[in-house]
Amino acid sequence: MNESLLEILCCPLDKHELELEDAEYAADDDEEIVDGALSCSECGERYPIEDGIPNLLPPDMREETPA
Amino acid sequence: MGVLENKARARLFYKYLSKVYDQVNPFIWNEQMRSEALSLLDLEAETTVLDVGCGTGFATEGLLEHVDEVHALDQSEHQLEQAYEKFGKRGPPVHFHRGDAERLPFGTDTFDVVWSSGSIEYWPNPILALREFRRVLKPGGQVLVVGPNYPDNVLAGKLADSIMLFYDEYEADRMFKEAGFEDVKHLFQGPSYDPDVAITTIGRAPE
Repeated sequence: MNESLLEILCCPLDKHELELEDAEYAADDDEEIVDGALSCSECGERYPIEDGIPNLLPPDMREETPA
Repeated sequence: MGVLENKARARLFYKYLSKVYDQVNPFIWNEQMRSEALSLLDLEAETTVLDVGCGTGFATEGLLEHVDEVHALDQSEHQLEQAYEKFGKRGPPVHFHRGDAERLPFGTDTFDVVWSSGSIEYWPNPILALREFRRVLKPGGQVLVVGPNYPDNVLAGKLADSIMLFYDEYEADRMFKEAGFEDVKHLFQGPSYDPDVAITTIGRAPE
């Protein structure tokens, strides 16, 4: 995800701002985040960035069902 | 309560459905229906669009014929994998997010247009999701939702109820107005052999 997307993203639970943590950037683009987490400035919930895709599913939906 | 309204079941169902989805999909929601729905929206290159329940990216592809970039959200990584193959995982043109339609991870007044096709039938509480659409839309922004029209046939209706949410024009009208949308209009769409299989609803967030 591009770092500029932080401006429009928010916590899906309480809609407060997200803070970027432990960010790793793409080798060829210093604004492209490939790994890290987004953490809610209010409730502290952490949302992982997995292979560049922010996983903003609320925690109760985050676990994949065993198939 | 249909079986797919349980989100865990929906995820499992989609994991398998995604393997054949784009082969099956054109029979119920094809390019002509997509173009017709797209023509209902005010789209320019710079328009900011959110595609909720983008799945394998069929609608996203149509939206990109009109706008430069699309924000796409889905709960299922298996559906998204198919979309990544079409557009690449890194935006632009498509910025992908995993998330829940009823609890959107976007700020208030963010998008000019919110689109969702073939997703509403799986939301446990459609009005919650529609209220979220209104929240993330800029004032005066447009919403467009394509869902399955309620079958006329009684037996098909019972079958439909057991699987997922279907709704008719009156129910759609009630849901969109309860969610706070204005200028709510409906269009029935479908292939020639089944011309009203889908119901497309458009509306506007209040100014």
